[in-house]
Amino acid sequence: MEEQALVHGLRARDNKVQEYLYEKYSKALFGVISRIIFDRDIAEEVFHDAFIKIINKIDNYDETKGRLYTWMANICRNLAIDKTRSKEFSKMSKTNTIDAYVYGMENDAGTAAAVDGIGVKELMDDLNDEQRFVMECIYFKGYTHTEVAEEYSLPLGTVKSRIRSAIKLLKKKADKI
Amino acid sequence: MDIQAYISSGKLELFVLGDLNETEQQEVLAMAKKYPEIEQEIIAIEEAMLAIDEVSGVSPSSGIKNKIFETLESENKKHTSPTIPEKPLQKEVRLVKEVPSTNPWKAFAVAASVVAVVSLTAAIYYANQYFDVEERFAISLQQNAILAEEVQANQVKLKALDTGMEKFITGNFDKIPMKGEGLPMQEDALVDVFWDKDSKEVLISVNQLASLDPNNDYQLWAIGEEGPIGIGLVDPGNKLDLQMMDIASGVQAFAITIEPKGGSKSPTLEKLVVLGEVS
Repeated sequence: MEEQALVHGLRARDNKVQEYLYEKYSKALFGVISRIIFDRDIAEEVFHDAFIKIINKIDNYDETKGRLYTWMANICRNLAIDKTRSKEFSKMSKTNTIDAYVYGMENDAGTAAAVDGIGVKELMDDLNDEQRFVMECIYFKGYTHTEVAEEYSLPLGTVKSRIRSAIKLLKKKADKI
Repeated sequence: MDIQAYISSGKLELFVLGDLNETEQQEVLAMAKKYPEIEQEIIAIEEAMLAIDEVSGVSPSSGIKNKIFETLESENKKHTSPTIPEKPLQKEVRLVKEVPSTNPWKAFAVAASVVAVVSLTAAIYYANQYFDVEERFAISLQQNAILAEEVQANQVKLKALDTGMEKFITGNFDKIPMKGEGLPMQEDALVDVFWDKDSKEVLISVNQLASLDPNNDYQLWAIGEEGPIGIGLVDPGNKLDLQMMDIASGVQAFAITIEPKGGSKSPTLEKLVVLGEVS
């Protein structure tokens, strides 16, 4: 289905189009959330809310600002980040390091990852430490690039170029699979 | 403008990640519109993100899909417009339903019992007030009767006083003081006799005279040439008031003796209390 037709169907509240959207993007979108939220139950709860929000707020989507998936991914990412910054979540996130997220995820959802894809850890393998660090901060922890630059005394340009090179590498690896 | 430098700055990646503020977003969008290379690069990044997410993504459990579509379905049933928030609407519907179904009976019952309690309290209160007022009214009536009696008694007394006074003023009375001094009975006894020689009328006024036991009376004697003549009994309690006695003529002295109840025909001289000679 063309993206234009997809958006049109969603705006018409077509049930079949909504289901199509789910089948096509649920894996990627849930991946965005479960990268940030290690607990699978909480991640699914956030995913539920995020998908409902996508369906209900489809009229807010502006095609001129980017692709549908980018808009949806950002909704998922923001809800997941909001969750990690909520009070109920704060105790957990303090004790969980980035490594715990990445490796924990590998262990917890290992079987699912084997079926669904390659898993986050393997995907990140080819990144150097610097690239991996900024990706973890921004992509997993939900920091803004300015927060990362300030927190770790890195020039803004360095943070940005590392993100760029990391995404390039990840894309290359993803394309190979 | 160095397009390649702009592309390689990493700003476009941040744009796709939603990590730019509103101004920066507008700037990137304007650049993308102006330079097809930038637009192409943004699309490439977006595709890269999707590709990465698809590869590294995890399928949510099958239950979550059902849950999501159940939620969507129930939302569709509840309201036609998706822009109206779900929760307040639900609450309104509940309010409208619940108020008429369960509450009125309870409300009426509560109202009725409140009215009953209030009425009963008021009834008891007013009954008490009624009995109280009735009691006070009876007391008032009684007091009124007593007062009327007193008024009548006073009127009688006043009339007597008036008569005595009139007599006293119009007549030609001589005052004859009688004293107990030098007599064995009552040293401090003092009674005045007023005697009109022309009309022969006698009045007395007790100043100081001891009370007697119920079996005896004070008797006033007018002593003339024919000896003492009893001219009446004296009330010792009626002090400083004029008591009218019998008439007497040719009196040389007045005296009071204590006699058996009702008086005697001749005085018991041993019990002479006071004595006053007419000057």
